[in-house]
Amino acid sequence: MIVGFTLNGSPQRCEVPAHWTLLRMLRDAAGRTDAKHGCGEGVCGACAVFVDGVAVNSCSVLAPQVEGAAVETVAGLGADGELHPLQTEMVARGGVQCGFCTPGMVISAVEAVRIGAAGSEEEIRHSLAGNLCRCTGYGKIVGAVAAYRDGEPE
Amino acid sequence: MSAVEVKTRRRVVGSDLTRHDAVEKVQGRTAYAADFSLPGMLHARLKRSDYAHARLARVDTSAAEAIDGVVSVYTAADVPRNTVWVDVPGQTLEVGALKARSNVLADEVVRYHGEPIALVAAETEDAALAAVDAIAIDYEPLAVVDDAERALDPDAPRIHETGNMLAHWELEEGDVEAGLDAAEAMVESEYRTQFVDHAYLEPEAGVSWRDTDGVITIRAATQVVEHFRDVAKILDLPDNRVRLITPYVGGGFGGKEDMTVEPYLGIVVALTGRPVRMVWSRQESLMARQNRHAVRMRYRTGADAGGRLVAMDVDILSDGGAYALLSALVLLYSTTCAAGPYRCPNVRIRARTVYTNHTPCSAMRGFGGMQVALGYEGQMDLLAAELGIDPLELRRLNFVERGDTLPIGQPLETTVELPALVDAVTDRLGPLPEPSGRRRAVGRGFACNLQPYGRCVWLNDWSSAWIGFELDGTLVIRIAVPDIGGGQASSLIQIASETLGVPPERIAIHIGDSALNPLTGTTTATRQLYMSGNAVLEAARRLRERLAGVAAELLEVEPERIEFAAEGVRERDGSRSLDFKALLAACASVDVAWHVLATYRAPKGVPWQADETWRGRVFPDFTYGCHAADVEIDLDSGQARVLRYVAAHDVGQAINPQSVEGQIEGGVAMGLGYALSERLVFEEGQNLTGSFAQYLIPTAVEVPDITPVILESGEGKGPFNARGIGEPPIGPPAPAVAAAIHAATELRLTELPFTPERISAAIGAREEAADATS
Amino acid sequence: MYPRPFEYARPDSVGDAIQALSGAAGEGRAIAGGQSLVPMMSLGLASPDLLVDVGRLPLAGAERAGGTLVLGALTRHRELERSGELGRHVPLAADAARYIGNPRVRNRGTLGGSLSHADPASELGAVALAHGGRVVIASGDGERSVAIRDFFHGYFVTAVRSGELLTRVELDLPPPGTGHGFSEISNRADDFATAAAAALVTIDDRGLCAAARLALAGVGDRAMRCERAEALCRGETLDDELLGRLNRTVVEAVAPEADAFVSAEYRARAAGICAARALGAAWRRAREERL
Ligand SMILES: Cc1cc2nc3c(=O)[nH]c(=O)nc-3n(C[C@H](O)[C@H](O)[C@H](O)COP(=O)(O)OP(=O)(O)OC[C@H]3O[C@@H](n4cnc5c(N)ncnc54)[C@H](O)[C@@H]3O)c2cc1C
Ligand code: FES
Ligand code: FES
Repeated sequence: MIVGFTLNGSPQRCEVPAHWTLLRMLRDAAGRTDAKHGCGEGVCGACAVFVDGVAVNSCSVLAPQVEGAAVETVAGLGADGELHPLQTEMVARGGVQCGFCTPGMVISAVEAVRIGAAGSEEEIRHSLAGNLCRCTGYGKIVGAVAAYRDGEPE
Repeated sequence: MSAVEVKTRRRVVGSDLTRHDAVEKVQGRTAYAADFSLPGMLHARLKRSDYAHARLARVDTSAAEAIDGVVSVYTAADVPRNTVWVDVPGQTLEVGALKARSNVLADEVVRYHGEPIALVAAETEDAALAAVDAIAIDYEPLAVVDDAERALDPDAPRIHETGNMLAHWELEEGDVEAGLDAAEAMVESEYRTQFVDHAYLEPEAGVSWRDTDGVITIRAATQVVEHFRDVAKILDLPDNRVRLITPYVGGGFGGKEDMTVEPYLGIVVALTGRPVRMVWSRQESLMARQNRHAVRMRYRTGADAGGRLVAMDVDILSDGGAYALLSALVLLYSTTCAAGPYRCPNVRIRARTVYTNHTPCSAMRGFGGMQVALGYEGQMDLLAAELGIDPLELRRLNFVERGDTLPIGQPLETTVELPALVDAVTDRLGPLPEPSGRRRAVGRGFACNLQPYGRCVWLNDWSSAWIGFELDGTLVIRIAVPDIGGGQASSLIQIASETLGVPPERIAIHIGDSALNPLTGTTTATRQLYMSGNAVLEAARRLRERLAGVAAELLEVEPERIEFAAEGVRERDGSRSLDFKALLAACASVDVAWHVLATYRAPKGVPWQADETWRGRVFPDFTYGCHAADVEIDLDSGQARVLRYVAAHDVGQAINPQSVEGQIEGGVAMGLGYALSERLVFEEGQNLTGSFAQYLIPTAVEVPDITPVILESGEGKGPFNARGIGEPPIGPPAPAVAAAIHAATELRLTELPFTPERISAAIGAREEAADATS
Repeated sequence: MYPRPFEYARPDSVGDAIQALSGAAGEGRAIAGGQSLVPMMSLGLASPDLLVDVGRLPLAGAERAGGTLVLGALTRHRELERSGELGRHVPLAADAARYIGNPRVRNRGTLGGSLSHADPASELGAVALAHGGRVVIASGDGERSVAIRDFFHGYFVTAVRSGELLTRVELDLPPPGTGHGFSEISNRADDFATAAAAALVTIDDRGLCAAARLALAGVGDRAMRCERAEALCRGETLDDELLGRLNRTVVEAVAPEADAFVSAEYRARAAGICAARALGAAWRRAREERL
């Protein structure tokens, strides 16, 4: 079937079978590999993207479910190659190691701050609970999110 | 705290330089192994065993082959040389000529749940998945050995013809029984650790194609580009016909140290001539990739009245799973570290690792040196209680020092700053937090450790690096090192920058390619910064010396007075200078090359002879640490919450302090998962932990605020006197948590992980006992 | 790794959806948020022949009608959790929704999907049971409504038959003077409950418990009320002594099964603890409301 949607602002039409997930469509049909396949079961958050402004695990959404929707991956966040302020914080504060969790982590953190679910350190930690990271121990990521929320670049 | 002084001021080394790879990663632009695709590529998948131990009566691939889009289905008979050999050092002849084999695809017998049986290559991933489903296998189940003790029974089913003993190490220093008899206090306990998965976020993946000249080129997530040789052997090709490239890797921790997708990719390309991609699912990664060994340890430890250790008897039994892989070496680390960072005149260590029908165990962060920390630190806490001495005081009384020798004969040549590490941790802890409510208790526990960095010296380890200028004054580093997320590449840039003046942003590094870059050895064993760092440093120093000579002549100053800066060289305290472009032009005119290939060689040692009296060096050096955990226990539910964590290590010199902190924090988080929640669960060899929802690595909620403390003694065997820090932080969390649980509840838990259920059962049993007596 | 192939339909009306489901060759299933179904398909635990996407049907929205709150099947967990409006009507659901999975699961997962999926560990199953009310099910023969207490039939089985759709849930709202409490024990922040308890406690004029509702998740083949514990509360003050007794009552009343990760004993123990905590919290809130 053909799925029409916008991807980081540009219109897309992907021919994919209905049983493909959004993640698979992004990676294997649309050539966007910045959403990562970490588990395929909705647990790790590496595949997180925005669909109509709401963060979802793209491994747990079927491709046809985004017909007509606006899909945004981490690559769509910064304007004109500039880093999004959260991305700047993540880099400056050492929130990135192997980087495999990072795209999903950034999506989740941006949403958490946007909807006001990052008020305290504890809230940030709960908002990121579905984004597993095996490298950093989370502290520097939590610090980056708090700094972004407070708008005080390092 | 004399040890914390930084000896020299440096420009780049020692600064929190932003990692050059981080910007691309945070934008999602880094191409990991699974992000590649090639025109016309096939998709490969494995059919894995449903049984833990069975004879393969029939493997019928005809239905699979008939599926539209399936190109081929391979079984053992199709693999040119279906054997992976590993060297198995150790005091054992049971595994034949010190080698053990495993199969690329199972041949006649499967020995663990998930063992690969057939390899499918298809035009689409969907066809490959359907083909895997369509392969029909008749199994004749064989008796399953799912317990290491049971594997040792004379009448236990044999997993390999050679028997179930995989390797053992045994040694006795002094007279242990006499020492224990004479001891004022003796404590005895058994400790158990569980099977653990690396659970990096990037599942195993790679692509492969036949490149110019027929070289089979594999681009895969691996910690070891030298596996190109193993693939060549499997394909029956000369070594120089296989090339392995590793892009940035989404985490390794030892799980990408043995081969994963590499041989299968090679087989498909060799047999079909077409490019191929293979990506493992999280579920197969959890089910069938090698794990960290589950270990059962028995310790008897004796001390005199003053608290000095007099004797220690250690018995270690580890479950190696179905194939040998690196078990023997892992066990060597356990043997070396079994007594901990403590002096003890009489020590007996018996360590054995056996075959079972569990998933094979192999390398994982801590590599056998970490499991024993639960044992030796648990014993120190027991002894302290027995003697009525503060646990930290008891440790201080017994810490090893420079010049001491570990029981295996390993000399300790660099400073041991454990007392300063203990001070650093206690200084930062502050008061013990109050319990957050009724029926809650808070306790604080400490643990110290030692962990080798660098590979076993018998392996004659070496690492090479190439550094050269470009004509515009930018710098290139070429080195086959895989970067698995620890900032390996970035640190090398810092080292080169420090030595040659070129700012990091003007240095390019080409990593992870076995054909075009000098080989550096594995990104394992906390060796990359140490080994490759030294190689890069050596190359940079030689290049600097060479260029300084040319510059000195041109500027007419002494070579010693030539300084390297961002734009070029200049005269120290003088006015003459030369930019790199001009310097390189000058070099060209006098036939001086502006690139250097250098090799760093690790210290050597005499390999273990099959002889219990052998003593000697095993590792280049060690990194030491002290950690503390404040833990709150919910006395009803048994849930343990780590409230605060402080972790201090002497890293000699931090090349990039932020990366060092990252390694400490990440290691502690992984150690806390090991302590509290992670485990692979098997039932009669069936791995029941087949999903990421079941294998519980900690989230941001479980991991507390971690305070990393970096001590820089200025002594270490790495570049600028750095010590390795990748593995050391994984050891102390479990014993520190155990001690904290004891401080909160007086319960001594000895079996990992300390799940709510186990804690609550122990509390329940104690409360019942108290009720019964009152 | 990935879902296996299936037919996909996205009808525009409930009627068409039901027709598509009833006409399925082989197994037909609705897909709403997909937060249970897609992972299950990826894990090979479900492989339907036809998926009928109900995600765009007009089944969202909430409406108060007298003593009931009508919640469309497509009400997302995230709305229950974060909408202040819903939180005022059903604070128990808001409390419980926070414990479901992770934020992205909550962004997409739906109430109808959660109830239809009928995982015994589902928080919303326990919440629905604590409130009581009806589930409205549409089929080819029109609509029928089933009492929530009769809705769950066992592990992943409900009163929704094949070819039917859950369209809305009518939750009974408790009388004034009611407090709510939710408590959960799980192995990890975003993990399914080892056990969870949802409680509603109503206080009478004398300041004693007039009525209590206690529903448990994770301790059997379906969400369940614990009437023995509820009866103990009536006419009483929920002090520590009684909460201790309630804890023990629940432990005795439940008969959970063991799995590879948690024993039956621990699940029961966890249920007792959650029950006492949920009831205690509900009691305190009810008293605060009285004051
Ligand atoms: C990582 C993770 C963690 C989770 N943790 C929790 C948790 O802690 N607690 C919890 O309760 N849930 C948890 N869930 C599941 C989640 O809550 C699901 O959203 C919910 O169970 C199903 O809702 P859905 O809309 O996504 O349904 P779907 O996945 O679309 O469907 C689920 C089932 O319900 C059927 N169905 C859906 N809608 C209807 C309808 N209107 N009529 C008839 N049948 C219908 C489908 O056919 C399917 O069988 C978790 C999920 C994930 C991925
Ligand atoms: S890949 Fe989607 S949540 Fe892990
Ligand atoms: S940085 Fe490696 S998983 Fe997060």
